[in-house]
Amino acid sequence: MNMFIHELKSARKSILIWSLALVGITVLFLSIFPSISRDADEFKRLIEGYPEGVLKAVGLQINTITSFLGFYSYMFLYVMLCGAIQAMNLGAGIVAKETSGKTAEFLLTKPVTRLEILAAKWRAVLVSLVITNIVFVAAASFMANFVAVEGVDVTVFLLISASNFIIQLVFAALGIFLAVVLKRIRSVLTLSLSTIMVFFVLSVFGSIVGEEGIRYVTPFKYFDYAYIAEHSAYEARFLVLGLVLVVMMLSASFWLFSKKDIHSI
Amino acid sequence: MNVIEIKNLTKTYGSSRGIEDVSFSVEEGEIFGFIGPNGAGKSTTLRTMLSIIYPTSGSVTIFGKDSVKDAPEIKKEIGYLPSEVFYYDNMRVKDLLKYSASFYKKDCRKRIAEMAEIMDLDLNKKIDDLSYGNRKKVGIVQGLLHEPKLIILDEPTGGLDPLMQQKFFELLKEENRKGATILFSSHILSEVQKMCDRVAIIKEGRIIAVEKISTLKENNHKKIRIETKIPVDAAIFEFTGVTNVEQDENTISFLYSGDINVIMQKLAGIELANLWVEEPDLEEIFMHYYEKEE
Repeated sequence: MNMFIHELKSARKSILIWSLALVGITVLFLSIFPSISRDADEFKRLIEGYPEGVLKAVGLQINTITSFLGFYSYMFLYVMLCGAIQAMNLGAGIVAKETSGKTAEFLLTKPVTRLEILAAKWRAVLVSLVITNIVFVAAASFMANFVAVEGVDVTVFLLISASNFIIQLVFAALGIFLAVVLKRIRSVLTLSLSTIMVFFVLSVFGSIVGEEGIRYVTPFKYFDYAYIAEHSAYEARFLVLGLVLVVMMLSASFWLFSKKDIHSI
Repeated sequence: MNVIEIKNLTKTYGSSRGIEDVSFSVEEGEIFGFIGPNGAGKSTTLRTMLSIIYPTSGSVTIFGKDSVKDAPEIKKEIGYLPSEVFYYDNMRVKDLLKYSASFYKKDCRKRIAEMAEIMDLDLNKKIDDLSYGNRKKVGIVQGLLHEPKLIILDEPTGGLDPLMQQKFFELLKEENRKGATILFSSHILSEVQKMCDRVAIIKEGRIIAVEKISTLKENNHKKIRIETKIPVDAAIFEFTGVTNVEQDENTISFLYSGDINVIMQKLAGIELANLWVEEPDLEEIFMHYYEKEE
């Protein structure tokens, strides 16, 4: 318990900053929405003039962009991007600070097992992400009340919002896994930014060429917002894929971390 | 009873050398020195004992328990001071020590205050703002606050001024008097000589000797220096028991171990201008050990 509380305390600042970032994105985007929905036809005509590739790349769908949920799922791309960076940074950072030698000897000479150490860290990551998402959903709901003219399907709204958390779990687990596997991490931020850029570019590329297979490769494509809007549910196979990946990466991390030699410096 | 028993411990890192076939044991209540030059394998041995790294082969038993399998149990009674002290940044000394204490089911507040007083450590400072020496003090308090039965120190005195070193050694001796066993690694012989009962000497990953400090010093080694009236060929001292022969014009010095009568007879045949017979300090014996091995 002491390790969990310590980790959560040291994540305090990052939780605050990332929550503010997500709230900022949400407020910024949703405050444009009223003007778009007011002049819906004109806006549609405007973007119809854009090349199709551009529309696909940024995830704009002309039919739905002027409805609240359509707009919300469009801006959600940026929420996911931001959320993924937060999650991977958190996961990689919380483990790398023990394995990159700077502070490793402190915890490793205490009367706790390696498994207990990593479990406490994972719990702290989980709680940090939950807090961030609660703040984000609260802000998004607040803004939705303000700007949505027609009634909003609450289930669909919450399903879209919660998908950020699931994608974050995948990236947090990936961050932990890489921090355990890699011998030394020079900069956690560089690692997570570059990894996430790769997945992001893949998903943009997948959107442009319309390749379905890419959806299995990049978590950014696990959730199809048109599907969610239609069925009020996630696609089971992608949900399961995400959760299986999380369990696998975590199991591997726990196993490797308990066996790993921790070198100084 | 042996608090530490290391048997045929080997640790290899890929191609580079770690330690090979290291064996020694430390008895309860002992202050045991572990000496060798930098890179000889001292830290590797200590870190293996603490399961920070795992042995390639061989075993370490501490308090009669296996150092890998029973690591958490063993560590309840171990205090460790690493050679380089890095702690979580952005924490106050006080908070770090509180965090450290929270791992042991003991109330350590009084002891933290006492030791901070002795070591002259400001508990309210941020660790980031501390000098190297002051960080070392944090390490010392952190390692001793739970009154461990076994204290493991890896090059503990770097960065401490002589006065602090003195206080630190007194603190250690006090712990030892209360029953703590101490394993002390260092490349500085004089501090080992001051503190320890026995030492293990490690070189290039292998233990080359385990000796009592008193034996090391006795060992019948004499440091003999002569000044002759006429130049003498130093080669006449090339016989069993003589090592480290050095000649500087009419002065010849060497270490001698063996029957004192033999060397006296030899010297009697030379026209001497002056003669010194001294106890060598540990440093010289230590060098002698190293050279013997080569």
